Amino acid sequence: MRIRLKEFNGVAVWKWVTNDDSCGICRMQFDASCSECRYPGDQCPVLHGECRHCFHEHCIMKWINAQQTNKLCPMCRGEWKSLP
Amino acid sequence: MNTDEGTQVKNAQSSKPRMNRIPNDEMAKVMRNPWDPLHSSDWDECIPTTICLRRIQREISSMLKESPPGMFIDTDPDNITKIHALIIGPSDTPYENGFFYFIIRCPPNYPFQPPRCRFMTTANSTVRMNPNLYQNGKVCVSILGTMTGPSWAPTLTLESLILSIQSLLSENPYHNAPGFTKERRLGDSKAYNETLKHETLRVAVCEMLETTNVVPQQLREIMIKHFLKFYDFYIDECNKNIDKDGQQMIDPFNKNCGLFQYSSLLTRLQQLKYELESNKCCNEEEQKSDFDINQDISSSINIASDRLSDCSIIADEKVFDNERKVNHNQDEVTEEHANDIQSSEKNLLI
Repeated sequence: MRIRLKEFNGVAVWKWVTNDDSCGICRMQFDASCSECRYPGDQCPVLHGECRHCFHEHCIMKWINAQQTNKLCPMCRGEWKSLP
Repeated sequence: MNTDEGTQVKNAQSSKPRMNRIPNDEMAKVMRNPWDPLHSSDWDECIPTTICLRRIQREISSMLKESPPGMFIDTDPDNITKIHALIIGPSDTPYENGFFYFIIRCPPNYPFQPPRCRFMTTANSTVRMNPNLYQNGKVCVSILGTMTGPSWAPTLTLESLILSIQSLLSENPYHNAPGFTKERRLGDSKAYNETLKHETLRVAVCEMLETTNVVPQQLREIMIKHFLKFYDFYIDECNKNIDKDGQQMIDPFNKNCGLFQYSSLLTRLQQLKYELESNKCCNEEEQKSDFDINQDISSSINIASDRLSDCSIIADEKVFDNERKVNHNQDEVTEEHANDIQSSEKNLLI
């Protein structure tokens, strides 16, 4: 049997590579956006720390900026250093 | 002035400083008791952020679905950032089967700042039920920032707060107090437990049920069910300790405590049972007396989740408001927002 391919539609699925399903700060799924964004994806990225904990970038930055002295990971209370 | 970008101050665009909007005596109260959810006029001035509203909503619905043993919450009909919590005294502690009521208030930029919490079962600020639960209602827990130790983190939840309060209600609370890891006088801890046992029955059982309208109706119903279930335990405790009557209670943290009066507690408990049961019989709607506590709780879940869907409306309105904010005067938005809340509440009532 011979088939002639007339047309095809490519479909791609993306997913954040994370240790957790949801952000410990806003409790929203990583594959969804943080509470204040409307669309998931590059506009609402996930940020990993050296301690291997991850959060929505918007969420963790709000916390880090709110801390006066030490910038600590809200999960393990170790110093927060973002991985690039 | 709070410059956290997450907190939208109502008059952020006006040139007036925010402090002018809060009357001085109100602000003084906030400054004097920065832990007190009932004096939070500084927070009343701010609109809760979307992340705040959404998170509270998620936390409440997950707690209502699967409430951890011995703790119950209810939402406030007027303010979703205000949460009512009830802890039932854990077994094998002097607090066993007592009712301990707390009011929690989340800040407008929750979870980036800890909530405020007040202990309400203090017999009008006369009884200190625990070294960390003061007469004036202050709750000393490090995550609330009211004592030293690990401070608040945004990954902590209302549930973790209530859990850490529940853990204060321990077997030997004497040793909770800093500097009291060893007894100062031999037998202090045991004597303190005897006092707490009496005060639990007097304040956290009798007074909590004798006065109506202290706790929200949903929580009161849970208390009544538990009271009838544990009635025999209360009576047993009174009978076991009745020989102490007339002796001075000992509390190393509060000098003004009275005498043991188990016989009068017995009368009060009997009276309470009589009243609660006859109320129940009078009420024809109350034909569910055979229902177990779980079923009763599930009805409270329904009511509370109705309020939650209201809360989600508010959260959605909030997102909508944010979009319009660019073109609107902030104050107008706030008024509309308040109206929206009111109208959505009206819809809910209908």
